[in-house]
Amino acid sequence: MPPTGLEPARMNRKKGDKGFESPRPYKLTHQVVCINNINFQRKSVVGFVELTIFPTVANLNRIKLNSKQCRIYRVRINDLEAAFIYNDPTLEVCHNESKQRNLNYFSNAYAAAVSAVDPDAGNGELCIKVPSELWKHVDELKVLKIHINFSLDQPKGGLHFVVPSVEGSMAERGAHVFSCGYQNSTRFWFPCVDSYSELCTWKLEFTVDAAMVAVSNGDLVETVYTHDMRKKTFHYMLTIPTSASNIALAIGPFEILVDPYMHEVTHFCLPQLLPLLKHTTSYLHEVFEFYEEILTCRYPYSCFKTVFIDEAYVEVAAYASMSIFSTNLLHSAMIIDETPLTRRCLAQSLAQQFFGCFISRMSWSDEWVLKGISGYIYGLWMKKTFGVNEYRHWIKEELDKIVAYELKTGGVLLHPIFGGGKEKDNPASHLYFSIKHPHTLSWEYYTMFQCKAHLVMRLIENRISMEFMLQVFNKLLSLASTASSQKFQSHMWSQMLVSTFGFLKSISNVSGKDIQPLIKQWVDQSGVVKFYGSFAFNRKRNVLELEIKQDYTSPGTQKYVGPLKVTVQELDGSFNHTLQIEENSLKHDIPCHSKSRRNKKKKIPLMNGEEVDMDLSAMDADSPLLWIRIDPDMSVLRKVGFEQADFMWQYQLRYERDVVAQQESILALEKFPTPASRLALTDILEQEQCFYRVRMSACFCLAKIANSMVSTWTGPPAMKSLFTRMFCCKTCPNIVKTNNFMSFQSYFLQKTMPVAMALLRDVHNLCPKEVLTFILDLIKYNDNRKNKFSDNYYRAEMIDALANSVTPAVSVNNEVRTLDNLNPDVRLILEEITRFLNMEKLLPSYRHTITVSCLRAIRVLQKNGHVPSDPTLFKSYAEYGHFVDIRIAALEAVVDYTKVDRSYEELQWLLNMIQNDPVPYVRHKILHMLTKNPPFTKNMESPLCNEALVDQLWKLMNSGTSHDWRLRCGAVDLYFTLFGLSRPSCLPLPELGLVLNLKEKKAVLNPTIIPEAITGNQETAINPSGHAQLVGFQNPEGDHLAKEASCNISAHQQGVKRKSDTPLGSPLEPGQILEKNEDSSKVKLKIRFSSSQEEEEVDMDTVHDSQAFIFHHLNMLERPSTPGIHLGVFNLEGKEQSPLEMSMHPVATAPLSVFSKESTSSKHSDHHHHHHHEHKKKKKKHKHKHKHKHKHESKEKDKEPFTYSSPASGRSIRSPSLSD
Amino acid sequence: MADTTASAGAGSSGMRSGSKQSTNPADNYHLARRRTLQVVVSSLLTEAGFESAEKASVETLTEMLQSYISEIGRSAKSYCEHTARTQPTLSDIVVTLVEMGFNVDTLPAYAKRSQRMVITAPPVTNQPVTPKALTAGQNRPHPPHIPSHFPEFPDPHTYIKTPTYREPVSDYQVLREKAASQRRDVERALTRFMAKTGETQSLFKDDVSTFPLIAARPFTIPYLTALLPSELEMQQMEETDSSEQEEQTDTENLPLHISTDDSGAEKENTSVLQQNSLSGSRSGEESLIDNPYLRPVKKPKIRRKKSLS
Repeated sequence: MPPTGLEPARMNRKKGDKGFESPRPYKLTHQVVCINNINFQRKSVVGFVELTIFPTVANLNRIKLNSKQCRIYRVRINDLEAAFIYNDPTLEVCHNESKQRNLNYFSNAYAAAVSAVDPDAGNGELCIKVPSELWKHVDELKVLKIHINFSLDQPKGGLHFVVPSVEGSMAERGAHVFSCGYQNSTRFWFPCVDSYSELCTWKLEFTVDAAMVAVSNGDLVETVYTHDMRKKTFHYMLTIPTSASNIALAIGPFEILVDPYMHEVTHFCLPQLLPLLKHTTSYLHEVFEFYEEILTCRYPYSCFKTVFIDEAYVEVAAYASMSIFSTNLLHSAMIIDETPLTRRCLAQSLAQQFFGCFISRMSWSDEWVLKGISGYIYGLWMKKTFGVNEYRHWIKEELDKIVAYELKTGGVLLHPIFGGGKEKDNPASHLYFSIKHPHTLSWEYYTMFQCKAHLVMRLIENRISMEFMLQVFNKLLSLASTASSQKFQSHMWSQMLVSTFGFLKSISNVSGKDIQPLIKQWVDQSGVVKFYGSFAFNRKRNVLELEIKQDYTSPGTQKYVGPLKVTVQELDGSFNHTLQIEENSLKHDIPCHSKSRRNKKKKIPLMNGEEVDMDLSAMDADSPLLWIRIDPDMSVLRKVGFEQADFMWQYQLRYERDVVAQQESILALEKFPTPASRLALTDILEQEQCFYRVRMSACFCLAKIANSMVSTWTGPPAMKSLFTRMFCCKTCPNIVKTNNFMSFQSYFLQKTMPVAMALLRDVHNLCPKEVLTFILDLIKYNDNRKNKFSDNYYRAEMIDALANSVTPAVSVNNEVRTLDNLNPDVRLILEEITRFLNMEKLLPSYRHTITVSCLRAIRVLQKNGHVPSDPTLFKSYAEYGHFVDIRIAALEAVVDYTKVDRSYEELQWLLNMIQNDPVPYVRHKILHMLTKNPPFTKNMESPLCNEALVDQLWKLMNSGTSHDWRLRCGAVDLYFTLFGLSRPSCLPLPELGLVLNLKEKKAVLNPTIIPEAITGNQETAINPSGHAQLVGFQNPEGDHLAKEASCNISAHQQGVKRKSDTPLGSPLEPGQILEKNEDSSKVKLKIRFSSSQEEEEVDMDTVHDSQAFIFHHLNMLERPSTPGIHLGVFNLEGKEQSPLEMSMHPVATAPLSVFSKESTSSKHSDHHHHHHHEHKKKKKKHKHKHKHKHKHESKEKDKEPFTYSSPASGRSIRSPSLSD
Repeated sequence: MADTTASAGAGSSGMRSGSKQSTNPADNYHLARRRTLQVVVSSLLTEAGFESAEKASVETLTEMLQSYISEIGRSAKSYCEHTARTQPTLSDIVVTLVEMGFNVDTLPAYAKRSQRMVITAPPVTNQPVTPKALTAGQNRPHPPHIPSHFPEFPDPHTYIKTPTYREPVSDYQVLREKAASQRRDVERALTRFMAKTGETQSLFKDDVSTFPLIAARPFTIPYLTALLPSELEMQQMEETDSSEQEEQTDTENLPLHISTDDSGAEKENTSVLQQNSLSGSRSGEESLIDNPYLRPVKKPKIRRKKSLS
């Protein structure tokens, strides 16, 4: 069972800080993966793997590997048949019968289940017994070759098949398949050691249809036809030691493009897209050059491949020497908006080639180093490619994101250290999921984690200089490349793994600087800093009195102590001051350089040395201060709230040259709706030298200010005359010039201004007619014939503008929305939308941007009551077969509808899609959107919140999503949003209360579970006639004893009898509940087994020798187990139980960690061997029962891939359960 | 003899154009010329000692003579034009004859032979005039610097400007207005038509005609239309003519045919693209790129090696 195997591994982890010690009792040196048959029709894969391992301990008798989904036919070690068992507790996290619906309970169980198969803890789903003939061989630590034949049928995760249903051969249809997944997910498609820390060399062989190409890691050695010449085999060799998690595969009828600049780089795309591929990848060589130059290191692999595929899991996935991209990143030269996005994706994937693929990580807690470095060098690339403004803007954006997330959820920890595996020490107890494993993390947390990682790298750079930083990277890379060339010294390969310790040591070696405080603050600790600043100018002393407060008590915050830079712009120039933030000092006196007297003629020097004329009439005559900025370089992960006068913000906006400062002042000016603010914003908007993103956000700020000033606003609507001047014809100002998007800055501005203008409102809170007409005219006169670029994004934004102009309908006593009472303005808008949407059918735009905007606009109209609220249109667009962007937009509308109209039907439809949609990306996205825009939340009454929904969601995350880590975590996110951590309030209390409470005793042991005292009380109230057992229930100890008695002596007969006469789901007498609980476990077993047998029979033809197989299994434990490894699987057979228990005992004596998973089989035996285990009956009674069910559950699941007949079938003597 | 030839000529012309016999002056001219030639042939035959000849042989010889003379004329004209003249001179004829293998020196002797027969000149028939098609006005005479043998000026109406009294619309605003509304009308009519003839969706349950939306139809390969939008193809063609659109409408209108049409178009595209890619890879090979994906696929070995490590 899960918990125990962890302990030794954790110890290793701790030691791992010094150097790498493998958690496995062997070293993998080479692996062969051979897939000799891929059937697109059936979506199946057949092949074998062969792992070459060297034992590192003498008594190695079991080898644990990772494998999920695969059906394993046969395992041979050095050509000898080997027995194996397959146990995957993550298939079903909590056993099915459990009525427990507490998220805390689930998260703990899930974390335990993941640990139980975590390769970094030396665990795995597949346990292979070394045949006894080889024991002597093993004792001499000689090489073992493990040969595993496996197949994969209709994989639900790991490998994704895309098979369009058109005529023709698979190649003509554009059918393809590729590997995908979140973090280490290679185990989904072949058995391996699915850890980033187990490196080996690879030989990969794929036999595919002659019209197809198989792209995989390493060098393509040769391609050979099969004998019938209808297929060919691609032979790949990867001589650089690589972890299984970085192995990937893509097969399809790809078009091949050899990069014209770098012939060792090859690009692949789906048929017909070659021109786009050419254009899209034409830029890649520059990224290569950039990285190689800054890292002073050649790209580590001898080749690089990019593959663009449909239905991608994520937009970018980097694997050793190849990257898999979404085909939707491809674009032609006519597309503006997609170009920078795609280039960023390319650059990102390439950065990860160096850090993430070539250099791997030692353990999960070192992940931040890799993500940090790759994100950081990607940032450097951004700076070089898009300029400093874009870079700083991006950093600011990322900083805002992470700050907002941490303040919302309570902190992101980069380097979690887990002491002894105790949940008490959980460093992230504020979260509803475990951060011990990547597979238990919420996706959003993980993205924020990556974001924080690169920001922290930037902080380190600030501290030690970029030069040193790059030297450190270079050092890591050169160490790794030296190690990678040691073909026969596999122990050297661990040099290719980066650890936090190693990284920090490199930093101190290279820079000689101590960055420990910085690491402690941002890496070992979660949270961000929240500053509040205000100031006063002391005229007498000519001193600026700055007060900086911190909020370090709210969740997600931490206290900051250390230097803080403050920049003060005075009349005489800009001055930097470094304040020392200490425990109790709030006030800081900063001497000013200038006197307040003003010399009108004098130019004012800025930070960058520029000298400008300013109109100083707005400023305070007594103060020389123009503006003040706290932490201008963003060298602290912080949120700053700073108070300064409006004119100071205005000066800052106009004259500060840092885009971040400008952005901040725009944000601040929203609160100062004055003509001066208006003027400042308008000036910025007009200034062509100003960064376009600043100008874009100035648009929105101006709209807000105009709305606040609506009663005093003079002149035409904000921005109208500006737009006219910039983009309309000189002679006829109502007609926009024919499109010419050669200048991207003005293109973006032209796109944005109408969208912002549409947010203007008049005194009646309606969009001014003038603005609407203006936008309609823009659409009408839009003429793109002479343009070099496509205007699809522009037109899409015009539709967005129309949507923005919509205001809520004035409803007369809730009349039904019909055409007759349609607002004339809305009629015009609808006219446009209809035309656009219909034209899209005839002349689709790139990525269907216009359809997407139309769908959004229609939802806005529905929501505002102009059009009847109806999800059918969206549902038709959400169907599989539409372009993914359209689907997402439509689904977003359905999600919104579900919330607004509280529609149970639509929620069910969405949940169904989450489970069944063929595209993983869409499934993830629905969950994400439901979480962002939930139909209800935990504190809300809603008719949707009912028991069936709880059960459904529980089932979804418990067993319905076992094929996709990310999906499961997404389901957990949703469950948390809807129901919170504790038991959902909508569950009926009476009958379940007691059952739950029995389990709550675990809560007593585990402090992280919130005991639900209320339930107990209510229980008592409802059943005033409760007898002794109920009383006992109030007292855990007593209850155990009572229950013990009851279940052992009288439970059986009583239970059977009761079941026969109690209708399903009816409330039970309290006395019977225990029995029911007791019984249900057994009864369930029987049902499950019999049903599983049915499934098995279907697969019987594939079973070679089920009897022998079972026999092997049962004999596996004959040899004393390897220390620290426990197999909690064999307690299925009552008869075999007794001998097994001896080996199980160590488990039970382990600390009560991880909510006492150690319960193992002892409870199980209680049923059959009551006389055993008196010594440990104390507290764990119920839990044990629980556990044992769980175990059966997993066992049952385990069997599936093997398809042998269950030995347990028909064993149970109990009558059918009534619990379901 | 004249009768026979005449009847022969009439017969042949009758064969060609039944009723309109010899009414045409051009035909008359040709007939007269041929008659003269027949007389010449006949007299030459007589001179050579023949007393009678079959009609067919006379015809054949006439034909040969005509061809010969025509060839001399054609050739002489070429020589004269070659030297930038419009009228042949004697030397042109001589060169022609030499070229045709005729010994010119024998010609004077032959012309002065004793037994030659003198034939009366053919009756003068007027040259056929190519009918002038609708002449209007007086052709301008050649100005002095143009030689008179140059062709005449064309009719005045072909180069004389005729002033019109309606100014074309060139006002920018009106033009834009017109273009915009025209396009809008076309689009609207088109989409309405599509909506009328196909499946639709509606935003209002009670009304399907005011804002008809063409029903959403899933694609089999959705990314192709999204990434290779036909809109851009049109833009690239620079001609937003309606002909293309109409074509598309027609195909889009028939839901059953759409898929086949699409796939047809796709196939065309693929073949084009494949050619592109082929040529691309070929050019790559030319510059000797050693990329493993461009190498030829190997034939299987007799015994396939087991692929272990």
